[in-house]
Amino acid sequence: MGSSVVQALDRVSVIIPDRQFVAVTGPSGSGKSTLLYTIGGLLTPTHGKVIVDGVDVYDLSQKERAKFRRENIGFAFQTFELIPYLTALENVMLPLALSKVDDEEQRLRAAECLSKVGLESRADHKPTELSGGEQQRVALARGIINNPKVLLADEPTGNLDKKTGEEIIRLLKSLNKEGLTIVMVTHDLSKAEHADRVLTMLDGCLHVQTN
Amino acid sequence: MKALTLVLKNFARRKTRSVLNTFGLILAIAVIVSTFTISAAMSVKIGDEVEKYGPNIVVKPDSKLLTIPYGSIVVGQSTFPEEYADSILNIPNRKNIRVISPKLYGQATIENQIYLVIGINPSKEYMLKSWWQIQGTYPKDNSSEAMIGFSLKQALNTDVNQTLSINGRPLQVVSILSETGSTDDYMIFLPLHTAQTILNSGDQITLIDIGALCNDCPVEEISRQITNILPGVKATPVKQAVETRMKAVEQATNFSLMLASVVLVAGCAGVMNTMLGSVQERKREIGVFMSLGADNSYLYRMFLYESVIMGAVGGLIGATAGVAVSLLIGPIFAGVTPSLQNMPLFIVPLSILLSIGSCIVSSTYPAWRAMQIDPVKALKTV
Repeated sequence: MGSSVVQALDRVSVIIPDRQFVAVTGPSGSGKSTLLYTIGGLLTPTHGKVIVDGVDVYDLSQKERAKFRRENIGFAFQTFELIPYLTALENVMLPLALSKVDDEEQRLRAAECLSKVGLESRADHKPTELSGGEQQRVALARGIINNPKVLLADEPTGNLDKKTGEEIIRLLKSLNKEGLTIVMVTHDLSKAEHADRVLTMLDGCLHVQTN
Repeated sequence: MKALTLVLKNFARRKTRSVLNTFGLILAIAVIVSTFTISAAMSVKIGDEVEKYGPNIVVKPDSKLLTIPYGSIVVGQSTFPEEYADSILNIPNRKNIRVISPKLYGQATIENQIYLVIGINPSKEYMLKSWWQIQGTYPKDNSSEAMIGFSLKQALNTDVNQTLSINGRPLQVVSILSETGSTDDYMIFLPLHTAQTILNSGDQITLIDIGALCNDCPVEEISRQITNILPGVKATPVKQAVETRMKAVEQATNFSLMLASVVLVAGCAGVMNTMLGSVQERKREIGVFMSLGADNSYLYRMFLYESVIMGAVGGLIGATAGVAVSLLIGPIFAGVTPSLQNMPLFIVPLSILLSIGSCIVSSTYPAWRAMQIDPVKALKTV
């Protein structure tokens, strides 16, 4: 960054089994989000590989990687990142729209996902009409609509109060119980405890792994 | 939900802003349409004005004995019947014929001197030569009256109401033509039938000068039609008149094109600037799309749809405004009144297409900038 080189990740090597709920913790600037985006195919590593479900993600072309992301990766962000001019239902439909799925099927599957996160009654509301917790649930519904291999959640409770944050964690656990592999970045150790495994990052290195 | 739906929803949430963003383009298209519309009306007016100054078609015998009028002086002699003048009104484009002026050229003797004589239909000749000014009155047809060119007044020592003996026949001078600076100053003008009698030419004439209206029919086509129906004669466009008209029209059109190009470039720059601003503003949104799996072609398609919608809306409003403005300001600033008859209506769909095309070109760089966005940086939470 600037004129100096920052080692955001340094010799990080980790295997995440299918259906595992992994939390990545560490202080600010330790490389947690960098690890997440690298797994998600958004940040090319200088050295090394990222293999998701047997596919070397960075061996793919940019176009192929985008397709891989559409079909295999789900994202949830700290600031929810819902599209403000779309309703909750339309936000959830977005990944399927990118995959050129039929309009009717998009609606059906989006409605199912919203129902799964308990927001079927808020389908026609815009993000500004939803609470923080509701927005994050919509974001999670969007993250799972394409039946991804892995859901990558970057500080999903970071902008929520304690109670709402716990609701989100419970939702993530229920999704994990249904078979979804989850990698969640959090600086909140109380949230990390709910994961099957906790990875602690420090200065770009994987410092500790605990189950 | 398709990419186009997303784009339309984005436009819908900021309707006023979308219209304002296309304001530069609307203005550009309005200027183009109004300039072309007024210019078309001006072309008609210029053409009409130029056509009043002299003939633009000459009908002469198509024979080996050439009649070569040099200005108004004839070298050689070959004639054809006067009735051919009336037959000209049988051509398909007769509505384009403004005036038909038959003439008989000859030489006559006045006090043992030879002078050039032209038999004319005075009222028709004046319609062709509207710059003529006379002292006196025009000779009446079949009368024993004459009009003298300016330079002959002194040469013949004559004046209005004086008598001249032309080929032994006394004729009263009823007018003197004011100086024209042409060979007309040296001519004696007689009523056509009087000239035919004095020159013993029966019903013959030497040539026909025609003033044709050429806004909706080229003079070459009218000439061809006349040649086809009259045996033994040929109608020829007067090159100088045609080129003068064309040059005047061409200059008006070139000016319009230049102005339109400048305005369109400015409009396109505005569109590009607006879209670049949009890319910057929607950086996070673009980052989200990328994280969800949008590839470059999807991003480009979004911006393409945006530019097409912007171009279509801007073009439609601009074209409508342009037509309205031309109807309002044409009479005030250009002294012309555009009408549906002379309005180049093709300019409306053409300007909409031009608007769309310009927007597509202008959106190329902003779309490329969008594709260069680093989604990780865009999504970075401060």
